[in-house]
Amino acid sequence: MKILSLIADSFFKILIPGIKVTIPLTVISFSLAMVIGTITALVQFADIKYLKQLARFYIWVIRGTPLLIQLFVVFYGLPSIGVVMNPFPAAILVFSINEGAYSAETIRGALESVPKGQIEAGYCCGLNFLQIMWHIVLPQAFKVAFPSLANALIAMVKDTSLAANITVMEMFMVTQQIVARTYQALVLYLELAFIYLMFSTVLTKLQTYCEKKLSAKGAR
Amino acid sequence: MIEVKGIRKKFGDLEVLKGLDLTVNKGDVIAILGPSGSGKTTLLRCMNFLERADEGTMYFDSDVVDMHKADKKTIHNIRNKTAFVFQSFNLFTNKTALENVTIGLTVARKMDKHKAEEIGKKLLDKVGLSDKYNSYPSQLSGGQQQRVGIARALAADPEIIYFDEPTSALDPELIGEVLKVIKELADDGMTMLVVTHEMNFAKNVSNRVIFMEEGKIISSSGTKEFFEEQKNERVRNFIKNILKKGE
Repeated sequence: MKILSLIADSFFKILIPGIKVTIPLTVISFSLAMVIGTITALVQFADIKYLKQLARFYIWVIRGTPLLIQLFVVFYGLPSIGVVMNPFPAAILVFSINEGAYSAETIRGALESVPKGQIEAGYCCGLNFLQIMWHIVLPQAFKVAFPSLANALIAMVKDTSLAANITVMEMFMVTQQIVARTYQALVLYLELAFIYLMFSTVLTKLQTYCEKKLSAKGAR
Repeated sequence: MIEVKGIRKKFGDLEVLKGLDLTVNKGDVIAILGPSGSGKTTLLRCMNFLERADEGTMYFDSDVVDMHKADKKTIHNIRNKTAFVFQSFNLFTNKTALENVTIGLTVARKMDKHKAEEIGKKLLDKVGLSDKYNSYPSQLSGGQQQRVGIARALAADPEIIYFDEPTSALDPELIGEVLKVIKELADDGMTMLVVTHEMNFAKNVSNRVIFMEEGKIISSSGTKEFFEEQKNERVRNFIKNILKKGE
């Protein structure tokens, strides 16, 4: 009985920071990551001098170093050169830059999957590069990239628990505090895992639904 | 109307176009024949700047263009007066047949959507696809896709249309419907440059035939003269062989 009431008491204490912190952190970071990833992919796809090298360098560094260390560098490291950030914006910065590098590769692959002939046809219709990208290539690439990007989003929901390490009051942090008070590590961490599972399940369902919608439109 | 002089193009060490000249007059339907690898497609692609020629001068209406150095704006202006029909159709697979036809008008020329759709529907009617406005390319047969490709080419009201082997990717029974559309355009007086392997099409529709081999034009004459009074033995043999295969 004691355990049940502990679960009941703690459930909303954990869920609320989930809704107030984990979800906004994920949504904002992932949206920014999409913008960064798309630009980084386009720069390479369009073969723009220097910017392309810069993009490769960015991807190389970010993918080659651990996310946790990137968080530490920004939050604990940068203040020593005068850049001080609050935990939440610091987490958004790191998560979006990190995911941006991964999704850039996903998006670049998807862009390259669109037949080159359609780009030539676009030029022959009088469109310029950006118009071709916007109307022809990106919509098709998005369809190709969607399953991988949805995966990345689900992964990010769970990765936000790392933000506890830089004092962001998200679900993991809150659970740790409850554990410190009650010593019920097993029950509480399982409960936390269950809440993450709920979030992921909703996203997985959403992914399946969107993929159906996407393949219905202009199937090929 | 269009004249090109001294086009040269190399891919690596391979010289694909070895300095050839070509004049196209208004209303001409010119068939370009020749064996694979003779540079027919490259010639067409260079004329529309899908491929950048190493050398060459283009006289388009009153403009003189250095084909190697032409800047974006010049190329854009030329493309606005020309259209291209591809061997593999290259329809935009995320757009309906109608959108494929109108996108050049609505996006590139900022035309009002309703007006563009009116034009687009008229063109799809012209190529016999009145019932396919809202079909996606994946829902159309090869012949239908190529007819959408032709309607798309017509949308910009071009002065000349380049056809790059428009029927080579089609099943034999679908070739006729596409050739019929091209013939109708010829009858309307459209200026066209058609790379093709269809001897009968060249014979019946074109008014001039060009034969290319190894990056050069080795025979060029009026259609009747080309087929009936061909002096070049190599060309005679080529025609004979192809016609034999067709039987």
